[in-house]
Parts: sequence; C-alpha cells; structure tokens
Amino acid sequence: MKKSLFGKKSFGLLLLVLMAQLVIWSCKKVPIIYSTTDEVNITGYLDAHPDSFSAFRQILSVTGYDGFLSAYGHYTLFLPTNAGVESYLKSMNKTSVDQVDVKELQDLVKFHLLKDTVYSISFTDGKLPQMTMYGQYLVTGASFSGGVTRVTVNRQANILETNLRMGNGVIHVIDHVLEPARFTLAEKIEKDGRYGIFTQALKFTGFYDSLNILPAASHDSANAWFTVLAQSDSVFHANGIQNFEALRDKYNNTTDPKNPADSLHMFVAYHVLHGANYLADIISSSSFNTLAPLQVITSKLSGSTVLVNDDVFNGVHEPGIVLNRNTSDLSATNGVLHEALGALSIKVRSPFAVYWDVCQYPEIMSLPSYYGKQSYNYSLTNLPSFITDPGPATPSYIYGGSPFLYGDYLKIPLGANRTPYVELKTPLLVQGKYKIWVCFRRAGRDNINQVSIDGVPLQRTINFATYIPKGTVAELEAQGWKNYTDPVSSNWQGYLVGTIDIQTTGRHDLRFTNLKGTDNDNWLDMIHFIPVDMDQIYPRFQMDGTKTYAP
Amino acid sequence: MKKILLYTVVAVLIFSTNTGCNKWLNVEPENGIIRDNYWKTKEQLEAAVVGCYSSLLDNDLVVDMFAWGEMRADMVTSTLKSSNDLVNIMQANILSSNPYTDWSPFYRTINYCNTVLDFGPGVLSRDATLTEEQQNAYLAEAHGLRALMYFYLLRTFGEVPLQLEATSSDEQVKQLVKSSKEEVFNQIIKDLEFAEKYAVETYGDLNKDKGRLTKYSVYAIAADVYLWEDKYADCIAACDKVINSQRFGLVDGSDQSRWFNNLYFKGNSSESIFEFQFDQQALNPFYDLFISTNQQFIAAPSVMEEVYGLDPTGLTFDIRGNGGSLNAADGMIWKFAGASSGTTLVPRTADQSYAHWFVYRFADILLMKAEALNQTGKGQEALDLVATIRARAHATENTFQQPDPSDKGDIAAYILAERSREFAFEGKRWFDLLRYAKRDNYANLNTLLLAVTANSPGYLQQTIINKYKDVRSHYLPINAQELQTDKALVQNPYYK
Repeated sequence: MKKSLFGKKSFGLLLLVLMAQLVIWSCKKVPIIYSTTDEVNITGYLDAHPDSFSAFRQILSVTGYDGFLSAYGHYTLFLPTNAGVESYLKSMNKTSVDQVDVKELQDLVKFHLLKDTVYSISFTDGKLPQMTMYGQYLVTGASFSGGVTRVTVNRQANILETNLRMGNGVIHVIDHVLEPARFTLAEKIEKDGRYGIFTQALKFTGFYDSLNILPAASHDSANAWFTVLAQSDSVFHANGIQNFEALRDKYNNTTDPKNPADSLHMFVAYHVLHGANYLADIISSSSFNTLAPLQVITSKLSGSTVLVNDDVFNGVHEPGIVLNRNTSDLSATNGVLHEALGALSIKVRSPFAVYWDVCQYPEIMSLPSYYGKQSYNYSLTNLPSFITDPGPATPSYIYGGSPFLYGDYLKIPLGANRTPYVELKTPLLVQGKYKIWVCFRRAGRDNINQVSIDGVPLQRTINFATYIPKGTVAELEAQGWKNYTDPVSSNWQGYLVGTIDIQTTGRHDLRFTNLKGTDNDNWLDMIHFIPVDMDQIYPRFQMDGTKTYAP
Repeated sequence: MKKILLYTVVAVLIFSTNTGCNKWLNVEPENGIIRDNYWKTKEQLEAAVVGCYSSLLDNDLVVDMFAWGEMRADMVTSTLKSSNDLVNIMQANILSSNPYTDWSPFYRTINYCNTVLDFGPGVLSRDATLTEEQQNAYLAEAHGLRALMYFYLLRTFGEVPLQLEATSSDEQVKQLVKSSKEEVFNQIIKDLEFAEKYAVETYGDLNKDKGRLTKYSVYAIAADVYLWEDKYADCIAACDKVINSQRFGLVDGSDQSRWFNNLYFKGNSSESIFEFQFDQQALNPFYDLFISTNQQFIAAPSVMEEVYGLDPTGLTFDIRGNGGSLNAADGMIWKFAGASSGTTLVPRTADQSYAHWFVYRFADILLMKAEALNQTGKGQEALDLVATIRARAHATENTFQQPDPSDKGDIAAYILAERSREFAFEGKRWFDLLRYAKRDNYANLNTLLLAVTANSPGYLQQTIINKYKDVRSHYLPINAQELQTDKALVQNPYYK
C-alpha cells in the first residue's frame, strides 16, 4: 500500500496536477499598486470638480500654469469658484476667459498662489507669512455680517472651504477673485480725497516719488516696502492747519524741502515706516523706525484700539494717536497705508535722568506675599518679561539680608556654568547722551562683566566684588565711583560703566556679558541713566525711596 | 483480526472516558463572566452601578471637563509646553480634527449607564432579596449620571445624538442622527425626574454621599440644567430643596490653610455635593496637566489682579486667590495642584495627585439661586447670597460692588464675577460666560468677546472677535472621526 501511494507513477501524476494548477494560477492578475499615493494634485482636483472650478481651470490652461500645478511641489492656492470668476469677468465687461489679456490672467493666477503650504491655522489679522508669487502680500481676517462669520482674504473674498489637502499643496476655496493692488502708496494717497494736504506735502518734499516706485524697480531691495501713516485734512484742520501753505509755513525752515534736515521733510518722513507693516504687525512690536533719521514711533494695543506714541515721559502720560482700523491696512503695490486719527509729529524732548530700581517690575509687585516680604527664585520658564536669560542659572528677587532701596535687590548669576549673559529691558530713555551708573551691593567673588546697550559695549567693565575706593566725592567721581545711598554705606556703591549716546527714544536692551570668572552673587539694586550735563552724584536714595538732594 | 478488534475496543473505551465530561465544548470564557450569568443578584446590580462611577475616573473625561469649561475662556492660558491642539483652540482655530473635540469618554459612561438601565430591571425577578425601592434607587443613579453626561454634551456641542440603549455587541451599533437641543434637554429632564423620585437621601457613609448621586446631587444637576435653559422658578425650587435639607454648609474660611485642606486637598467636605473620587489607586491626570514641567495650563497672568482684586499691601486677601485657586508666583492651578495653603505653598507630588473633581458644591447652589432670583426680580435676595459667599472668602474691597437691587444687568454681571472667583478653574467658567452671554438673545455677547480675547495674541484679536460674534461658534465641532464612523451625523453648522 505504502508503495503504491508513493510510487513513481502517482508521484508524477501529483506533480502534473500541481503544475497544471500553477499554470491556472499564473493567469490570475495580482493587483499591484504602482503609485505611492492616490492623492490628486491641484490641477487634478480642478479636473475632478468641473461644476465648481471649470472657469479657473480654463484660466490655468490659457496661462499655461496647469503644468506646474499638476507636478510635485508645495503650493497654496486660493481657488475662486465659477461664480467668483464670472462676477470678475462681468466687472471687466467680458463674457469669457479668452477675452482677457493672457498677461493679466497670469498675474491674476500668481496672486492666488503661494510658494508654500499655508493652512488656516496660520491666518491672523494681518498678512500671510509668505508673499504671493505675484509679489504682494495677502491679508486675512474674519468678518461678521448677518449673524454669520466668514474668514476673509484680502477683504475681497470669503473663504468657503479650507485646508483641502492635495498631493502638491493645499487649496482654500474662495467666493470671489482676488485682485492685486494696482496703485503705489503715493498714488493711493493721492486718489483718496481726504489726504489733500498730506499729498501736497509728499510732493513738495519729494516723498511722492520715492513712494511711487514698485519694489521690483527699487534699487534698494531692503527698503523697497513702506508703511505710511497718513493724516487726513480734517486732522490738520483740527490742529489749526487749514491748508498746505499753512503746513509749509509752519515747518519748512530751509530753502530746500527735499533736504533731509528740513523740518517739513522730517515731518513727512516721520509718517513713513520701513517695510510692509499691517496693523497686526504694528501691535506685535513695541517700536518702529521711521524714515526720519533716528526717530521711532512706539505702538501698543489698548483694548482693541491700536495706539502709536502712547508713552509715559518722565512720569507724564502722553496720550497716543489712534490708527483707525476701518481705513487702515490698505494694501498698495509697494506697501501698506494706515490712517492716523491724530496729528503725528516729532517732538523735541530733552533727556531726563532715569533712576531705575530694577526690582520695581509688575511681575513681582503683583505678588504681595513676596514683594517687600520674601525672596523669590525664578525658573527659566517664568522669568519676568523684562529679563532675558539663556540660563541655566536664573535670577532671584531677594528681600532681606542687608538690602538697600526698598529693602530688596535683584541677584543675577553670571559666568561659566551659570549664564553667559543677562539682558534687561530698560525703562523709556529719551534720545541723548547719558552716563550710566550701576548701583549694587559689593558681594561674592571676582568676576568681570561687560555692559552693553543695544549691542554697543560701554567703556568700563564691572566687577561686582570690588570695593569702592577711599576718597572725597569729587575724587571718587573722577574715578567713576559714587555713593548713591543715604546714609552712605561702604557696601552699597554706584559704579560708572560708561557714557553712551542713546540714539532713539524708547526702551533699550542693557546686557551684562560675563568675560571672566563666575559668580552667583551679583547684587543689583539700581541703574542710573543720567544725562551728561546733569548732577551725577545727587539725588542719593534713602531706603524708603526718599530722594536726598545736594546739600 | 482479534487483536485489532481488541485494540479498537480499548481505544474507543479510553477515548470515551476522556471525553466523558464535555468541557472542551464549553465556549464560555473561564476567567470572565458573561451577561447571561450576570444580572442575577442585587450585588451584581450594585457592582454595575459602581462601575458607572469608576468610569468617571477615566482621565480623558476629566481632562475634557476641564478643557471644555476653561480653555476658551479668560482664566487659563497656555504654557510653552502646551500642545498645539490646545493653543489652536485658545486662538479660535477650532477644527474637527482637534482631539479636544472628542466626546467618546462621555458616551462611554453613558453606555455604562444604559447597560444598567437595560438589564438592571430584570434583577428584581431573579433576586428575591432585592426590593423594588432598592432597584429603583440603583436605576436612579444611572439616570442621574446619564443626565449629567448629556448636560455636558448639550452645553459643549449643542446638538448631540441621544443614545439611550446599551450597545453590547457589534450588531447593535447604530448610525444615530443628532437630536435637537430641545430633545436633549427634555431627555435630561426626564432622566432627572426619575432620579429625583427614587434616589436615596444618604448612603449612610460620608464618602459615598459625596461620591455617588444622592437626591441632593440630582437637585444640584437639575438646578444647573434649569438655569441653563432660563427656567428660573424651577432652578430656585431645586436649590431650595438642597438648602432646606440642612445637610450642607460652607466650609469655614477664617484660616486659609485649614479651609484649603478641608475643601480641596482632602475633599468630601460638608460643602461638597458631588465629587469624582480620585484616590491613591486612581490618580487624576492633573499632575501632568498642571504641576509637572510639561504643564499644559496655567492661570492667566491677569487673574490675581482682575479677578481677585489685588491688595498691594497684602494686608487683606481673598482666600480663594493666591494659595486657594492658584499660586500667584507661577500661575500653578492650586485647586488641583496644591498640597498646602496659607503661608507656605507646597505642590502635590505625582503620587499625591488625587484631588477630587468638584462637580457641585454648596456654594454653587447659593450662587445659582442668586442668579435665578435676580432674573426673577429679587435683586436684594440675590445680593445677600453673594454677600454670604464673599464673607466666607474674605473677598477684598477691590472686588466689592454695590449694584442697585433693581438693576438686573449689574447684579447679573456681579454674580458672574463672583462665580469666576469662587469656581476658578473648576471647569465652569466657559459655561458661566456662555449662559450669561446667551441670555435674552445674546444681550451680553460683548462680555464673552472680551473673555475670549483676554489672553490672545494681539495680531489675532480681530479675527477671534469676529469668529465669536457668530454664535454658532460657541459650540465645538463634532470630531472628524465620529463623522466618519457615524454617517448619519451632520457637522455643526459653523464648522461645515
């Protein structure tokens, strides 16, 4: 039996059957996937939805851009529906895409395309992080009407569908065609009837021409974009300037209004900022350089109002000027136009002394259980906003021990294995020349630090472990030392780190950079910024904050 | 041949003895219990009910309760370690793909309740020792808990599918459609009516009274539900039932550290009405959320000054502020993170992270009643109740207001502010704001708009304001995954 089962004959038969089966199987097609993904590309998506997007598809064919939008890449397309394209054609009195100039259509498509994938989570009140391929920014926002909120693009179209992911990018469907700005800033201001006086001033001072250059044509690519804070005629009227002649007579002090030193020239320059700054950008930074040399405007958001030059000078609050949201954020081909609702002008200020107690900052003063009662050690994650410290060591608010002004001081560690530098944001300093005194309690070990302001090193390095030398007040001052406390103490001392010309009015970055040695105990009490022509020694400070003036 | 026959007989004999007990045909699991063998005794019924409560300790559920109640409002803010999903919601970029829109922890508990409600009633016929009264008491707990879950869903999503049957096998999975807000509300009330009628007054054990639903916790839920629907008389009636029971009172606040220890650190105080009973065996997720270096939420920097009215001298302070609700120095959410209060603030360690989740406290009953009284024109009575809460908390002069007793609007705003002080970080702020804003056809929408932009970056402010002006955006979208699995669901209109 065994033999017959595994006999040669039956074995051959079995083989035959198996082979036959193999042959039959081999005819079956095995589905093999050749593509790595079945995602369509942008052009493919348009082809698949002719009901909604055939018109834009046609524009792509006419312009020849359908090729690269079906190839690999990273794009963002704001895709207008058929209805959107139709109304665009109608506004140009055309009935079909073919009747429009190809060049114009190319620009139009480029204005709807970004060379990166931008999802709706990066939409803000301002411009998108990337420029369109046309070379202008798109602004986003949200508008509420009739009980419904829609996300808008360039204030021209509503977004109907967001974040459609394609193989080569992302599509946002919009209900209208986006049209690029056609006018330069200069033209835009001129065309707006409300800016008559301002336009004349622009022309008179030559700014009209510099604001009339397209970024592509600009010879200075770093300064190709501008932001203008324009003032309407009614604002001039409210400030007693009835016409351009009055403005000219008020400011123009040289024969040549195109001279940068001319006051009228500076007045206009003060209304122009570098770069395209939408309101969302303006409130994201605290100050901006204007075209007027070394003149800055400060900005802040108060509630939902955008204010410029709302500052406290020497204890006096100067109310700011409102930028009108409704008439601002207007895109031009070379920048942005905003409307200032008040008279913006350069003010001549004389520098005043700032006696800065570094322990008076909001984060500590809002902690009544710590401020003036006990010490607090910061960690890198909850540093007060005015301190920058790369770590690993962190500053502490110290109360008690042998303190001086208000019984407290700021302990900043500096040096190897501690922190390479500590940077403090100063209070507002008016443009001018100052002597800078670091007032501290002598403590710790030798370590040498350089003090710099906005990256400019000051003349003298400071060692928080050195004692004040002996000598008269005048001798000490000549050596760059002073006693800043009353009563005078041999431990509490002011040290002159240098004289500096503060170029712009605003808050500046004062940095202690460690050069040599390392120590935790750098006990900082005050920093005095005293204009060079003022008394450097007095007032001295009593522990409760009372100032003692020169006898 | 004979031999073969013999062998065969022996083999058959051996074989038959081996298979004599037919155990190998038994398909029931050996280390588990199946439904046919369950639901036979009252102990099993009670165990199933307790199982519903255990599901509340599911960490995802409490995270949702906290996040839904706080993240869109003004009292919390993100940290550098906060997830992008969280930051997106805080910045009003809410997409259905965001995991914070996942409602499955709630439906999981609802399914447990449904299971009890489906199979529980059969136990009476099988266990002679179970009385009908007892059975109904168990069912009341399931009804009450289901109502609470649907109440959260109603306030967060608006329209949700009503699943009222247990899903115990794949065949029972149904494609449900959304029910309208009104239908959901009616179902909640129906559940609560049953629960009110049959729930026990006490289990004879303090921890059970606070950890399981009693008549009083059902009244508390009902008061909240009625208040949400602007049914003030019903709300006052429900509150009065709790107040008149004389079983609850405010924890004494004369010593902050003792007050904190009783009310928040230990929990189950005389003030508590219903709390989720986290303990050393079932820790809450708050260590990672609030305490660890990867903390996701901290108190907004404005809370100390704007909510609690900072007294810079430090002579007077609201016990609910620093050391009560938050640690003012680093913004840690102290209610759940603190191990001590008073002069030295020590945070909980990871294995101490079992702060209860406070669903209802007696203070809530008083302030809900005040809110309802004010709306029915009894301003002075409402102000008296607010004064009681403030006196216990040593609220500072800075937050004291003296609205005219006839000025409904001012008093409502005052109560809202007092609620933000009393229930800071208890997952109530957003719902309080929304209830306040939507009253009288969104008469107070502006308050909500101020709150949603309080901690937002300036460059997003206008977008966020305009998004929240659309009142449909006040409810979260249905999670994308739910839409995929249940084809009958339709996305909420704002997110289409």
